[in-house]
Amino acid sequence: MRLDLRNSSAAMFVALGIAACGGGGDAGSSGGGDTGGGAAPPAATIDPATVGTISGMINFAGDAPAMRAVDMSGEPDCAAAYTGGGPMTQSVLASGGGLANVFVYLSGGVSGAPAASGAVTLNQENCRYAPHVLGAQAGQDIQITNSDNLLHNINASPTTNRGFNISQPRAGITSTQKFASAEVMVPVRCDVHGWMGAYIGVVDHPYFAVSGANGSFRIANVPAGTYTATAWHEEYGEMTGSVTVTAGGSADLSFDYSASMAGADVPLGEPLVVGHDGAHTHAGQ
Amino acid sequence: MATMIAEATGQAILTEEHKQSFLRKYIFSTDHKVIAIQFLFLTLFFLMIGGFLAMMMRYQIAWPDQPIPLGGIFPESMVASGYILPEFYNSLVTMHGSIMVFLAIMPMLVGVYANYLIPLQLGAHDMAFPRLNMYSFWIMIPAGILTLSSFFVIGGAAGAGWTLYAPLSARPDLTGVALGQQMWLASVVLIGLSSIFGSLNYITTVINMRAPGMTWFRMPLTVWALFITAILGLLAMPVLSAAGIMLLFDQTIGTSFFLPEGGGQPLLWQHLFWFFGHPEVYILILPAMGFTSEILAVGSRKPIFGYKAMVWAIISIAFLGFIVWGHHMFQSGMNPALGLTFTISTLFIAVPSAIKTFNWMGTMWRGNLKLHTPMLFAIGFVAMFAIGGLSGIFMASTPVDIYIHDTYFIVAHIHYVLFGGSLFALFGAIYFWYPKMFGRMMNETLGKIHFWLTLIFFNLVFFPMHGLGMVGMMRRIYDASGYRHLEGIADTNALITWSAFALYASGFLFAFNFFWSLWRGKKAADNPWDATTLEWQTPSPPKHGNWAEVPVVYHGPHEYSHPGVTDKDWLAQNERPDVPSPAGGH
Repeated sequence: MRLDLRNSSAAMFVALGIAACGGGGDAGSSGGGDTGGGAAPPAATIDPATVGTISGMINFAGDAPAMRAVDMSGEPDCAAAYTGGGPMTQSVLASGGGLANVFVYLSGGVSGAPAASGAVTLNQENCRYAPHVLGAQAGQDIQITNSDNLLHNINASPTTNRGFNISQPRAGITSTQKFASAEVMVPVRCDVHGWMGAYIGVVDHPYFAVSGANGSFRIANVPAGTYTATAWHEEYGEMTGSVTVTAGGSADLSFDYSASMAGADVPLGEPLVVGHDGAHTHAGQ
Repeated sequence: MATMIAEATGQAILTEEHKQSFLRKYIFSTDHKVIAIQFLFLTLFFLMIGGFLAMMMRYQIAWPDQPIPLGGIFPESMVASGYILPEFYNSLVTMHGSIMVFLAIMPMLVGVYANYLIPLQLGAHDMAFPRLNMYSFWIMIPAGILTLSSFFVIGGAAGAGWTLYAPLSARPDLTGVALGQQMWLASVVLIGLSSIFGSLNYITTVINMRAPGMTWFRMPLTVWALFITAILGLLAMPVLSAAGIMLLFDQTIGTSFFLPEGGGQPLLWQHLFWFFGHPEVYILILPAMGFTSEILAVGSRKPIFGYKAMVWAIISIAFLGFIVWGHHMFQSGMNPALGLTFTISTLFIAVPSAIKTFNWMGTMWRGNLKLHTPMLFAIGFVAMFAIGGLSGIFMASTPVDIYIHDTYFIVAHIHYVLFGGSLFALFGAIYFWYPKMFGRMMNETLGKIHFWLTLIFFNLVFFPMHGLGMVGMMRRIYDASGYRHLEGIADTNALITWSAFALYASGFLFAFNFFWSLWRGKKAADNPWDATTLEWQTPSPPKHGNWAEVPVVYHGPHEYSHPGVTDKDWLAQNERPDVPSPAGGH
């Protein structure tokens, strides 16, 4: 393994800085929605009296496009897990005026952050990635598990980070990966099952979340201050907003997506390899 | 101490026998015999490693749904929850083939025996370029380190197969292997350099340093085979090195020699690889043929049948080897007229191959057969090579090849040629020349047990693979259990795997015999096999410089049962038939 001295030193510096400020209490924050990125809160110590919470909503106006049925007949065990209509694609999950699977993160104004700790999880269950969108801090372990007793491969195609293409032929196999630097988003796909796709948002702090089924999200333990926040969705693209967090307070933040934004430019970065089919297109369902 | 070395012409030259440091004598030695022994230990090590990789593959093929024993000792990137991961299996396949071809069999055939035998059998003091010879060995060390360490870098070892077909090998995203693939290529470039250095040396030595009287057609067939092999190596290895560097560029600096999206041609890789690859097949078999000819003549107590035909057969095989590479590419969509051309040129190779096979049988016919271990392996070579050669004829034919392409039929074929052929001959060569190299005999009983176990289990491993290929079992498949057309082959695969374990275990019997005999083996006479070639007319082991007096050669290399000699059944090349040998020559 290559030791990234620069990142390690920076993380150590930040950790020392926080300790010198007499920090204590819980770690930064994590995704707050129902599909909150599978992120476990990083366990660094910060003073709860200096942090606040961002509670937000991803609103969706208009009629969400109908999702297409996924033909899983090639994997009968997976297909059998879906009853009442069968498996559908997941690229736009909107209900009750909210949009799910939107990655929200602080993209400006963050100075220093606790080092990554703990692991986020990405599971392959019934031939789908769960969650479909998740966040991770740069350098944080991403634990990838296969819960299906069949072969999946996990082909991550980042732009600036080192990619990986590994496989897990049996249920219960776990692999731990990480990305060294921030990158929003890293597409992930399974080459065995063309419908399987996920996105990993990698940022260099723990202030991110993924909106849940009703569109809500929550970012906790954010140091007081004014920030730029960015929301990313695989079909409707990026939006930015501003939010001010006060110590001990709860700040509201919302993003308004609409059906008319379909086909927006969705930044993923150029694929690493020329002609790498599908890397730039949506891996998702 | 000054020593007088008499030249054949009667002219005497004075040489200085200098004291050498341990480092100079045993590590950075320029003595061809020491270099050969260095190559021998290195290649035996890699033979063991390559075999171990094969055992892991066999376990996975036979029992894909069971965790591998001791799987926990491997990193998670190779074996997870006890199961061999598919990408690690790809690396196993790739590295087994690569290690066996480039770091075990080829350097054992050439690095060991060309080095050891060419000067000794020709009556030379050493190689033409001793220092270059030393470099050719030491270049192999970083190559070996690169190869082995590539298993432990991110992404693991190369996984695109030993043939490295592009674009699979050129695009890291397809295999998940980036650095490992580059290390493989760097390793192959180094091995190519070693091979080129060696070839230059062997060719020059054979042309310029033959003892007086050692005319071309008095050279032992081993030297002939190694000489022609060196020419093949000199012409073929640079092609692989160049192609390897081009592929490295595709991976690292953004060129597109083999990537269609950048205007390159994946087929170009196939042409370049096989333009090297098919001569490589003969690099791997011609020396084995030379050893076999030598051992069969000694073991039959008869001159080799049709010596000149054997020489021309070697030359013909080498020449034809350069115009048949397309038969590896019948599936590539080539013009049928071109396919037919390659079919015909490939079938031509059956002619010199048959000449050799029948001449070996002619040599043994009514011979006074001495069935010692080297002889058993030589006979085993002839039998196994015949099977491998015949299955090759199947694949030379385009319509048959298209059906069995990339199946276990080809796996069976290549192993009948490379294991049943090259490795059987190599085992024979090791047992045969061991007393000359180390001054001790290997244990004969253990040797015979090793032979019979190897013969039986080799055939149990590889013969059924012909059938597996015919029913469509894909080469390099990670898990064949999920395919309906392959239902019913699980038992055969289990039998093959158990036999492979036994075959590998019998290798340890050989290893035990080899190392035990180094210290405890019976002291060897100078000429324990009553052989005629020049190396047996020196002490066992020969001293630095080989000869106190350069021998004069009077006749061909296989004068057994010579009618003019009554006191023994052989006549050394440096003995005149009309002059009685001192004390019967023993």
